[in-house]
Amino acid sequence: MLTHNRIWTILTCGVIVSLLLTACAAAPEVVQVEKEVPVERVVVQTVEIEKEKVVVVTPTPAPVKEIILDGIFGTEPPTFDPNISEDTTSVWSVEQIFLGLTDYDDDTLEVVPELATRWDISEDGTVYTFHMRDDAVWVRLHPDGTIEELGPVTAHDVEYSAKRTLNPLTASPYAYVIYEIKGAEEFNTCDPKALSDEEFQALEDGVGVKALDDYTVQFTLNHAASYFPSIASLWVVRPVPQAVIEQYGERWTEPGLIATNGPYMVKEWAHQDHAVFVKNPKWYGWTEFPEAGNVEIINLPIVTEASTTMAMYEAGEIDYLGDPGWGPPLPDMDRIRADPLLSKEFYIAPRLCTYYYGFSQQNPPFKDNVLLRKAFCAAIDRQTLIDTVTKGEQRPAHTFACPGIFGNAADDETIAPYLLDYEEGLKLAKEWVAEAGYPEGEGLDIVLMHNVSEAHAIIAQAIQAMWKEAFPKVKVTIETQEWKVYLKTLAPESPDEDKPNVFRIGWCADYLDSNNWLNMVFNSKSHENWGRFLNEDFDKLVEEAAKEQDPAKRLELYNQAEKLLVDQEMGMCPIYYYTRVTMDKPYLTRIVSPISMDHVWKWKIDWEAKKAAKGIR
Amino acid sequence: MTRYIVRRLLFSIPVFVALTFATFALMRAIPGGPFDFAGERGLPASIVQNMERKYHLDEPIWKQYGRWLWDLVAHADLGPSLRQRGRSVNDIVGESFPISIQLGLMALALALLIGIPAGTLAALKQNSIVDYSSTFMAIVGVSIPNMVLGPLLIWIFALGLNWLPVSLWGAERPFLLGFLPKPTLKFFSHAVLPVFTLGTGLSASIARLTRASLLQVIREDYIRTARAKGLGEWIVIIRHALKNSLIPVVTILGPMFAAIVTGTFVVEQIFGIPGMGKHFVTSIGNRDYPLIVGVTLIYAVLLVIANLMVDMTYAWLDPRVRYQ
Repeated sequence: MLTHNRIWTILTCGVIVSLLLTACAAAPEVVQVEKEVPVERVVVQTVEIEKEKVVVVTPTPAPVKEIILDGIFGTEPPTFDPNISEDTTSVWSVEQIFLGLTDYDDDTLEVVPELATRWDISEDGTVYTFHMRDDAVWVRLHPDGTIEELGPVTAHDVEYSAKRTLNPLTASPYAYVIYEIKGAEEFNTCDPKALSDEEFQALEDGVGVKALDDYTVQFTLNHAASYFPSIASLWVVRPVPQAVIEQYGERWTEPGLIATNGPYMVKEWAHQDHAVFVKNPKWYGWTEFPEAGNVEIINLPIVTEASTTMAMYEAGEIDYLGDPGWGPPLPDMDRIRADPLLSKEFYIAPRLCTYYYGFSQQNPPFKDNVLLRKAFCAAIDRQTLIDTVTKGEQRPAHTFACPGIFGNAADDETIAPYLLDYEEGLKLAKEWVAEAGYPEGEGLDIVLMHNVSEAHAIIAQAIQAMWKEAFPKVKVTIETQEWKVYLKTLAPESPDEDKPNVFRIGWCADYLDSNNWLNMVFNSKSHENWGRFLNEDFDKLVEEAAKEQDPAKRLELYNQAEKLLVDQEMGMCPIYYYTRVTMDKPYLTRIVSPISMDHVWKWKIDWEAKKAAKGIR
Repeated sequence: MTRYIVRRLLFSIPVFVALTFATFALMRAIPGGPFDFAGERGLPASIVQNMERKYHLDEPIWKQYGRWLWDLVAHADLGPSLRQRGRSVNDIVGESFPISIQLGLMALALALLIGIPAGTLAALKQNSIVDYSSTFMAIVGVSIPNMVLGPLLIWIFALGLNWLPVSLWGAERPFLLGFLPKPTLKFFSHAVLPVFTLGTGLSASIARLTRASLLQVIREDYIRTARAKGLGEWIVIIRHALKNSLIPVVTILGPMFAAIVTGTFVVEQIFGIPGMGKHFVTSIGNRDYPLIVGVTLIYAVLLVIANLMVDMTYAWLDPRVRYQ
């Protein structure tokens, strides 16, 4: 027994001592470390690829040095698989490595061709035929740096992708966004266990997407939907490599296995740690587009803490703050604005999201009381809130769909003008609240709820104070819940008595059309309609707008719908349109996408300047 | 001895079953499921149904648990992650656990290296300036939370002096024995700040415990006897007094080891270290059921093993302890 004990002791001591030794060894060497942190090493590794690239493909002369972009992933990307992506991190990555049928212009936000060079629309607006270019290819990057070509990207890949998204066995969280396609909803909502193989196959074949030939794909829709080219840009219908997916199953997105067709390829993806994308020299755009940038390697370590990325940015370890990582943290904003250097690197870009408060319209006191809803919404001083609390130069909102969305009414100042002019709004609010039967807020006991978050908390506290000031006798209690519990509380099937009177929520664009906003969120049938705004006239307006083909008429219909939703019925209370706060090192020139789908292939780095900046530090 | 160990381990099996089932059931009792919502929005019922069907969440809980237990026992498979599609809990633990072990062991080693000598010195020079300053440092160490110390160290050594990188973990795979990284400069330069952040807090509690315990032991009769026999002071202290006074230290080392080696959320978060600690926290927010149960089970197994090792160590430290 003693000997056993001895062995244990010796083993334990041995481990401890060896660790101590290694730990000790660390200290004296520390000083010279930071000079040769990651950058240089990666260059050495990847130079080989560039050589490979030159040998195998690129006719253009190889650049002298590989240009590296250092960014951050704010979280481990849940997936690189376009068919099951749902979050900004995955979607941002998919944008770099997979091409869509269509794309957005960064400046005008209009739909522009990508894989599809043009598209035909049938007379009745229900059939869309996309004609695809034939020079996009599937590539796979092997660990040794060789690039394998896996054939052209064809219309069959698009058909396969749409059907894979809709297949209930794929369980894609985003499948419902393409329910406009004929037979899509039927296929996606079927129970495969309850059906025979033939029945299941029949449903799959019934989906209205078909490759007419190798480079022509046709979508048949349930109804005319002039926003469909916008939907065709979505990740869920981007071509995916059927053979690769069938060979490797769910693991097909691992580096070395994944086949892609976009401007970049996946070189490394060490889960939870980092990912590296490298330029795909076989992508047609590098030579075809004059606006193509020079980023050849994208380094994306995963850092889940915003303040840490801010420190990394200040230490010169990363080139920018923004997607797919974090913007500068709110507590640092005042310091950044005051700092002579940092304030120059900081700027604000729009982001296609709206922050709003909902009213539970099944519960008193807001039930059937439009005046009270209007009073509470008008008694919020949006500009002060933005200047003193959110500090991101957001734009005060008085409509639901934000600027940049087709059909938005943000510039129509006849809609709920009292939400923009606080003095006027406050005066009206006081009258309305009295007219609604609660003079000075007497007898009102309001529960305002938000999900747990520092940012939402300070906004809620500010609004609580504003309401107190406007209606001195009102009682406003703030409650918080963890995110998943929160949405469960708000869900339509949860008991009405558990629901807060007022709640905070937001909405971001999937595609840039008001159908994605008004119809998808506030239609009576929508699962996003948390406050239960049930209005038949509104449903009729947005459903008509979805089917209407004349853009001018659609604009008019959406304008009416906004007026009805906000001004007349106050079904929701808009607070502000989001912005994206970002910081770029002076040597980086980039365009920030308002929908988290940055075109990194357009970004430019002044490499000499970056090297110099790193050298100084 | 061997029989004792085997018996202890066998007894712990029902504990693991009860623990995993409790975790399994409790997680499902929390409102909200893994697929109800995506980002800022809800999902239609049909979509949720597809996803629940895929991961068998539509089955009764006993059946789900049975499936999970069978996969674990028969294939050593902890199940699929619900949040990171296409990846298994085995993958996730496999890539993050070694990192947490590296960080944890180094921090623990640092803690012992600082804590035991500091506590010993303080006890031997009781009520002297050495004692007071050591006690003061210990209180400071215990009181400053990691979420303050970490950013403070980053601010001084990475941003101010520019000696060390701000964050990330520099270990390069593959690891020797599954967890020992190549001792490169990059590895250590990235490790210094997090190890120090994590280690100092631990060393403070170890120092205080060592001091208190040693003060008690050096007043014991057998120490007086040892001195009376004319043994050198250092032999008395190290061989007789310190060895015995380490019993309480070893007692807390067991649970401390299990907790530190399975990762620490705050330090990992601040320094962007891809360790296992964050899964204990984020998997709950994500309702990633298999991942929660998986990391809980690993923690429990480590805790049982660590406590067993503590009991073994008692026998060596204290000659009166015998196990049959």
